[in-house]
Amino acid sequence: MMGKIETMLLELKDTSEFMVDLAYTSLLFNNVEIAEEVMFLENQMDELGEKITEEIVSLGMEKPQEIARFVVMVRLQIAIENIADAAASIADIVLRGLADNPVLHMSIKDSEWTIEMATVSEGSIMAGKTFGELRLNSHTGMFVIAIRRGNSFIFGPDRHTRIEAGDSLIARGPEAGVGFFKGLADGSEREI
Amino acid sequence: MAEQESDIFHMTVRELLTEVKDLSEVIVDLAYASLMYNSEEMAEKVYGLRDEIEELKYAIRVKTMLASRTKKDAEQMAGVLQVVAAADRISHSAVDIAALLQVPAEKRPFITELIDESDEKIRITRIRAKSDMVGNTIEQLQVEAVTGMKIIALKNRQGWTYDPDHDMKLRAGDDIIVRGTASGFVRLEEFATGLIPWEFPEEGGDDL
Repeated sequence: MMGKIETMLLELKDTSEFMVDLAYTSLLFNNVEIAEEVMFLENQMDELGEKITEEIVSLGMEKPQEIARFVVMVRLQIAIENIADAAASIADIVLRGLADNPVLHMSIKDSEWTIEMATVSEGSIMAGKTFGELRLNSHTGMFVIAIRRGNSFIFGPDRHTRIEAGDSLIARGPEAGVGFFKGLADGSEREI
Repeated sequence: MAEQESDIFHMTVRELLTEVKDLSEVIVDLAYASLMYNSEEMAEKVYGLRDEIEELKYAIRVKTMLASRTKKDAEQMAGVLQVVAAADRISHSAVDIAALLQVPAEKRPFITELIDESDEKIRITRIRAKSDMVGNTIEQLQVEAVTGMKIIALKNRQGWTYDPDHDMKLRAGDDIIVRGTASGFVRLEEFATGLIPWEFPEEGGDDL
């Protein structure tokens, strides 16, 4: 069982890796929407980082004999935050409009996969269904890696996760699957 | 992989940048893997990759400066340099993570658990003789596209290879360290043990 700090560090780590993934994707496809998600996550990282620091300080004062362990936590936290900052600076290139650049595009565009974001409308057949019911991956080739619901993220939803209207789905898959996927989300495609 | 300096200067900015991007991703995986498997050898490889990124960074700097003639060029190159700076920062953070291996193991028991609980798992598996993977290269199999798992290291009779090239052939008895989701790993293990036949990607299917 992990403690409170460990759980928060885990979230910090997962978010940082997701950010790097999203940042390179936003660059590769010159996608402003995804670059903005990276910046949103960067702000969340900052808040979480402050909470972790407070937690480490108070626990460190309670248990000074374990100070070496807390130092390791702080070192790990800093490394993770640096990775997240690097991701944000990659997304910044897109937001500055510098990604419309043949060198950047072609250099990284060696994979046939893409990441797309789609918001589920009220009228979408996805709204209210679980991933298990929809079998999106089989039908569209797109694999949802995260859901943005209001200000929080659900990473790695499983077959029991239920989609709600208003959710933004971040999905990875072949470019060929994007049109149908987006159609399902905005409600223009009614049949799966 | 390891490039001679002269080779680096013959690469285009585009090629150099692709290399930097790929290395900046694999170096973080290897850093966490070194802690997870308590491996000094993997940590050494992290330091080696950091040095490689340094060399690439230098080559890119020189090339982008030579390529800048107009304001538009300069803006484009500014974007390139910003990516390189970010990748460089990632590689240094990876080194900081791998350096935690120097801390006595009893002071960092939570790290292994933390890595294990992550969304992106690091796992090891052995390729069995009856697996379809045997005799094929990583590229022929398109391991990442089919399973979502990326091979970050491979151990065969010659020893460990970190960040193996796409043309590396897999053989029976090879151990592979992979990174990806838990469900992706379950699938990969089914392929690796030979429980299910490999699903070779269809040729040219991507253009449809």
